[in-house]
Amino acid sequence: MPDAVVRIQNVSKRFRVYHQRNTTLKQSLIDRRRGRYEEFWAVRDVSVEVPEGESLGIIGENGSGKSTLLKCVAGIMIQEKGSISVQGRLASLLEVGAGFHPDFTGRENIYLNGAILGLPRRYITTILDTIVEFAELGQFIDNPVKTYSSGMYTRLGFGIAVHLDPDILVVDEVLSVGDEAFQRRCMERINSLRAEGRTLVFVSHSMDSVRSVCDRCLWMDHGAARMVGGSEVVVAAYLAEVNRREELELELTETSAVDTSPGRQGVRITAVDFAGPQGSTTVLNTGEPLTVSVEYQAPEPLRGVRFSITFLRADGVPILTVPTDDLATGDIALPRQGVVRLALPGVPFLEGLYRVTVDITEIASGQNYKRLERVRPFRVHSAEHREVGMALLGHRWELPQVPARVAPG
Amino acid sequence: MASTELLPEGRLPPRPRAPHAGPIAGRVELLLELVRRDVKSRYRGSFLGVGWTLLNPLIFMLVYSLVFGKFLRVRYPGGSATVFILSGLLAWTFFSQALIMATNSIVANAALVRKVAFPWALLSVSTVIAALVNYTISLVLLIPFMLLAHKGIGLPILAVPLLVAVTFALSLGLGLMLAAGNVYLRDLQYLVNLGTLVWFYVTPIIYPLSLVETKFSGHGLEGQVAHFVLYANPMTWVVLGFQDVFVFDRWPQHWHGLGYSLVFSLLSIWVGLRVFQRLRRRFAEEV
Repeated sequence: MPDAVVRIQNVSKRFRVYHQRNTTLKQSLIDRRRGRYEEFWAVRDVSVEVPEGESLGIIGENGSGKSTLLKCVAGIMIQEKGSISVQGRLASLLEVGAGFHPDFTGRENIYLNGAILGLPRRYITTILDTIVEFAELGQFIDNPVKTYSSGMYTRLGFGIAVHLDPDILVVDEVLSVGDEAFQRRCMERINSLRAEGRTLVFVSHSMDSVRSVCDRCLWMDHGAARMVGGSEVVVAAYLAEVNRREELELELTETSAVDTSPGRQGVRITAVDFAGPQGSTTVLNTGEPLTVSVEYQAPEPLRGVRFSITFLRADGVPILTVPTDDLATGDIALPRQGVVRLALPGVPFLEGLYRVTVDITEIASGQNYKRLERVRPFRVHSAEHREVGMALLGHRWELPQVPARVAPG
Repeated sequence: MASTELLPEGRLPPRPRAPHAGPIAGRVELLLELVRRDVKSRYRGSFLGVGWTLLNPLIFMLVYSLVFGKFLRVRYPGGSATVFILSGLLAWTFFSQALIMATNSIVANAALVRKVAFPWALLSVSTVIAALVNYTISLVLLIPFMLLAHKGIGLPILAVPLLVAVTFALSLGLGLMLAAGNVYLRDLQYLVNLGTLVWFYVTPIIYPLSLVETKFSGHGLEGQVAHFVLYANPMTWVVLGFQDVFVFDRWPQHWHGLGYSLVFSLLSIWVGLRVFQRLRRRFAEEV
């Protein structure tokens, strides 16, 4: 194994979280010491080595300490414990166009930003045209950057950064800005640096980028290194964990899901259940029959009521609402207690987590007797389906035929 | 680096690297770029531009010489109230402007400090240099007044760089401390505004030192305090030096005092750098 050019050993980084930030003298004097704060370890005892020419991806949820670790490597922050050694010239790109002066023209900012990134002025002059062209600025290059669109701004920043030619490049989520074409250019640049054997440390939320760019991957979880290894393996483990957490959350909400307290006029919903082909369940496959049953209780028999069930995606987007009105045009009379069932011959939803909202409404007044919102999550798997999206709709492809060969003459 | 044949599969052969400024040259270039920014941004968008650098001290000088010279009848040694006041006032404008700008230098560049690692002290240094550039421009003002007031400009003008150097060093040292401190305690910027105002009056700029010396010639506590404050103030000796050169066209007379100011300034740089280096560790979090 080649020598590590970035060696992170037992690094821990502490933040102070101020209850009330005392940056004024008065408050400081009152509190005697500067602010009351709690310590928070954003990075805890992380060790990882990056050999020359390798690219390391860092993944993890928001707030897992990825960016903090990266800032320590870049030298922007200094860790409280542990050591970081870097061999070779390191350039960090945590934000494109950092330090642009809004009142200055694009041209002036190219020189300023270039100097901040360590490019010699004479060299900047030689690449100026390339940058202007890359950023598609044209005559705007001599306008103040505060007049630029965000796209122009980002392209200008990246156009400069592209000319960095370090031994080690540290990149944080820079690729998430800009449009598709811009992102592709960024990836091209990163890949060409990789091909030249430069070392890369790369934070991203895009698992696809991490898989395609990084040889190895560090998974950060609550500040600690959860896993280090080949990208494919670590990304797969991470995604599995994300799914697991989602399901755990699902189960937690499930237990507290159905609120059985009485609503208007003492109407209660005592249970909401799902049944698949094998009976009661919360996990189904796309296309399997699903029955939603709603168990209710009321002090009096119910007249003039409507039941409705809405299916929602996990993020709350409603997909389908089915009211009972279609059953009967007139009065529905229901006994004081019972079970209302809605049967779908085949669940049309594709892979994901879904919930239901259940309503019992008085038709005449339009008022709810009882409403349960976004309860009883259930998961739909669609491993056998190639369609992508929210729901499976009936479809049929028609493809042109290769014409039968016609005999010449 | 391995030779081309030994490169692992899929690797491109090394191509010529893009140039990169070395650690020293890079810092010098960056510093120049930052100074350029600080000087330009001061004038950008204002109609008078550089005119303000001249107009500001000019107006102050006229007001002071009117109030103190004409109304209060302060007798200025050398005869000319205008040259006397201007020689100290310009140096003071340099000093106070450098301090005020340096104090804000890190906080004003928060976006940069949070995202890019480079010697952040350059942000503070550049503001002091920018103030020096403005001072140099403002020196032009002195010429007509000196010619009007008296004799020409002699050899003692050569002492000016030394006096400027002491002022520069003092504002740099204090500026570094204040810049770093202001990240943690934003009151500093207001304190600096107030502090420079008070400091202005305990420096013999708009009054001659001799005035204080005769007023408090007795040995009362008041006189002792006044003398102590004036003599301990490193800017006193610098300003006296400027007055010697510009008003009397003679070499600075208070070499002991100037020596003290020089030592004080160099010490302040040393302390300033230490404080800055210590506090910079958490800049990115606190700024």
